[in-house]
Amino acid sequence: MPAQPDESEEQGKNSAPSPVESNSPHKIIEPLIFYPGALIVSLIILWITTFNIIAANHQRAQESAITSTAELAQTYEAQVVRALQEIDNALNIVKRAYELNSDKTMLSRLNDWHLLLPDFLFVTSISDANGNVISSTRPFEKQNIADQSYFHQQSEFDQLASSQPWQDPYTKEWKLTFSRRLSTPTGAFAGITFTSVAASYFVSGYEESQLGKWGVLGILGTDGIFRVRRTGEQIVSGEQANYSQLIPDSEELEEREVRLQNNSWDQVKRYTVASQLYEFPLAVVLGLSEQEQIQGAIELKRVYLLRASAASITIMLITIILLRLSLQLKQSRKKALEEHIAHAQKVEHLAFHDSLTGLPNRSFFSQLLSHGTAEAKRYERRLALLFLDLDRFKIINDTLGHDAGDELLKEVARRLTEALRETDTVARLGGDEFVVLLPEMNDEKQLSAVAKKILSAVGKPFHLAGQDLRVTVSIGISVFPLDGEDEQTLLKNADIAMYHAKENGKNNFCFYSDELNADSLERLALESSLRLAVDRDEFVLHYQEKHDLRSGEITGAEALLRWQHPTLGLIQPMQFLPLAEETGLIIPIGKWVIETACKQANRWLEEGLPPRCISVNLTERQFTDAHLLDDIANILQTTAIAPTQLELEITESLLLRNFDQALETLSKIKGLGVRIAIDNFGTSYTSLSTLDQFHFDTLKIDGSVIRDIANQPSDKELTEAIISVGRTMAMTIVAEGVETQEQAEFLLASSCDQVQGFYYNKPGLPSMVTPGSPK
Amino acid sequence: MNYKKQAYHPLKFTLLAICFFVAGAHSDIVVVVPADSAINSLSTSQVAKIFLGKSRRFPDGSKALPLNQSEGNLERDAFYQLVSGKSPAQVKAHWSKLIFTGRGQPPKEAPDNQAVKQLLTNNGVNISYIDRAIVDDSVKIVTLK
Repeated sequence: MPAQPDESEEQGKNSAPSPVESNSPHKIIEPLIFYPGALIVSLIILWITTFNIIAANHQRAQESAITSTAELAQTYEAQVVRALQEIDNALNIVKRAYELNSDKTMLSRLNDWHLLLPDFLFVTSISDANGNVISSTRPFEKQNIADQSYFHQQSEFDQLASSQPWQDPYTKEWKLTFSRRLSTPTGAFAGITFTSVAASYFVSGYEESQLGKWGVLGILGTDGIFRVRRTGEQIVSGEQANYSQLIPDSEELEEREVRLQNNSWDQVKRYTVASQLYEFPLAVVLGLSEQEQIQGAIELKRVYLLRASAASITIMLITIILLRLSLQLKQSRKKALEEHIAHAQKVEHLAFHDSLTGLPNRSFFSQLLSHGTAEAKRYERRLALLFLDLDRFKIINDTLGHDAGDELLKEVARRLTEALRETDTVARLGGDEFVVLLPEMNDEKQLSAVAKKILSAVGKPFHLAGQDLRVTVSIGISVFPLDGEDEQTLLKNADIAMYHAKENGKNNFCFYSDELNADSLERLALESSLRLAVDRDEFVLHYQEKHDLRSGEITGAEALLRWQHPTLGLIQPMQFLPLAEETGLIIPIGKWVIETACKQANRWLEEGLPPRCISVNLTERQFTDAHLLDDIANILQTTAIAPTQLELEITESLLLRNFDQALETLSKIKGLGVRIAIDNFGTSYTSLSTLDQFHFDTLKIDGSVIRDIANQPSDKELTEAIISVGRTMAMTIVAEGVETQEQAEFLLASSCDQVQGFYYNKPGLPSMVTPGSPK
Repeated sequence: MNYKKQAYHPLKFTLLAICFFVAGAHSDIVVVVPADSAINSLSTSQVAKIFLGKSRRFPDGSKALPLNQSEGNLERDAFYQLVSGKSPAQVKAHWSKLIFTGRGQPPKEAPDNQAVKQLLTNNGVNISYIDRAIVDDSVKIVTLK
């Protein structure tokens, strides 16, 4: 626990949370670093994987396209070779049959026997040595073919020859013609047999499912002219192509190399294979469009990119959400921690501070003081303790209410704090008690100056509950180490000094000394025995009779309090009443007095004496006691005496303290039927109007007024005036302290009603009060 | 069979087309089998498969041996149109592909309706098509489903 919570408070607000936070196990990695880091790592992994898959897919698609191209080309080559061989076979059959028997109808018979190729595709004909077409399976558009290259070739060689593509002028169909030489038995040229077929026949195997829309299938002559070429549904013949570029001049014909190239004829990029046939001056060409072949891979790439993008966005969103949640969690933890700390600080503050004024409380002050004394001892310094008690605070609290009392305390606390230096400490010990700790306070002059400053600060008017009022304070001062070396002694001695300040008339200060301590010890003894006296019933009442001046009869008696102390004997009221008044013991004592007096009045009646009015004095404290009326009413009820038999005596000075309240209290007492007397009249400055307002039943002229009547004419006149006024106001006039015959005679002459004093009798126990005549 | 060597004359083709068009309203191609055949009815797609070389057996498992009419015969074109919806050029392309790729040989052919009736009675073929007008007891019409 900090030694000085008030000073460390500011510091604590800033420094306290940091060690707690840094020790927190939750804070492993800062979320602002962790989440973006995890995000970047996962995104890198994701995209590397994605690109790897895409690259692998692309490569697989390429490899697959190359494989397909090679396989398809092999198949196509086989198909072309077989188709050419079939053509060669059929022409060979015609050749052999015609060479055996040159019959024109032979061709038709061969056809019927299905030895020729189907005539709806192939038109097979025979020409003589001059090129005249002499027989045909179908009508043939030319009568003579002597000018055709396939005719000329056969006149020189005996092998299958193929023509350039030519266009049927009637159907516009491109055709190819294949021929074989016919020989006479001697081996001379006898003509040719030839068959024509649509060029498209050789690309009829084009399957879109295998070659796609943009594949290519074709037969290229070694002369660089396409016999036929097909892409999708488009079939072209007679087109020139760069043969050597397409088919590299390679020794290793076995090797079919698939090459990715832009085909010169339509600028489509294809995986292309071209290979020359063994037996014919032709090459087969096959290609697969690159775009079509890797289309799947491209689409797959798009799908992967989309997925990766979606995954990236998802990861980012999740990260953002997690980050936000984490930051919120951190925030709320921080907030909870701050609240916890604030609460702890508040609790600590409450434990060490007075909740009303915010000043350090008794336990905190005790720590401060012991800390201060330790410091002072170490550095051989002095230290002063000022004990403050507000004068008459209880009365303010009772009359203006507790709220106003609290306000007053707060304001006093504020003024004290303002009046002192920051190094000085003001604390509230409770109630209206404050203490001030002045470190490094050396000489009495300085201390006096501080005390005066406090007196003047507190002495300024307060505005409370709608009215201005003044409050004073009494200050007791003790100094370390002269007046005590420990907390308890210092506090006790300052308290004693404060009591002396109060006794010296309040609103001042007093330094502690050993003499004060002695006085105070005596006082303490008296106070404790006074308390015991109430319990032990050590009080007695003496009575002084009141006599009617004219008849000389006893009309009543004044009850006078005495303390029958077991060891000190009979003690006079002036010796203990101020203490009783100050300590509040007067309340139970006063109540006892009234009750006892009333009982005595009853006893006199029982003894057969005429009713006597019994007078009891009220002190200031009794008069302002809130329970006074109830107590009187109770006593009247229990003793069952007539209220008019009881008379309460009040001094003039008591009325002047608080005029309005006194008036109210008096009229309530009168309401009970009890008589009221104004006591010690003539010693103060009561105005006639005051007398008139209060409606007293009895006016008691103070003994001092009539003491020198014999010698002082002015006193005589004053007495006469008082009596005259009292009579005018219909009051019973009683003269006190009558000691001589002269006085008695003068009073009788002045029409005074009643008298009391040593001239008639000394106060005594009730048994001594007899219905006798004056001595 | 004697095949006449004739020029493919445009005027003749046009006249034939006109005749067919006029007669077409009444003429009607029917699928026929030999009178003693067990086949009574076939679906058009079954017939089409047989005549496009895609199927070689009847639904009952017996061997189908189609007899076509010569290319250029109006009956042939009408028949393919009827059973497969293919034009003459499409039919030609189809057979061209089958032959080139070595996956089939075209059916035997007869030059005209009469030749079909005669050939159906021989062994070797067992399904063909002719004009309904010349159907007689020697053949049986196959109901097309």
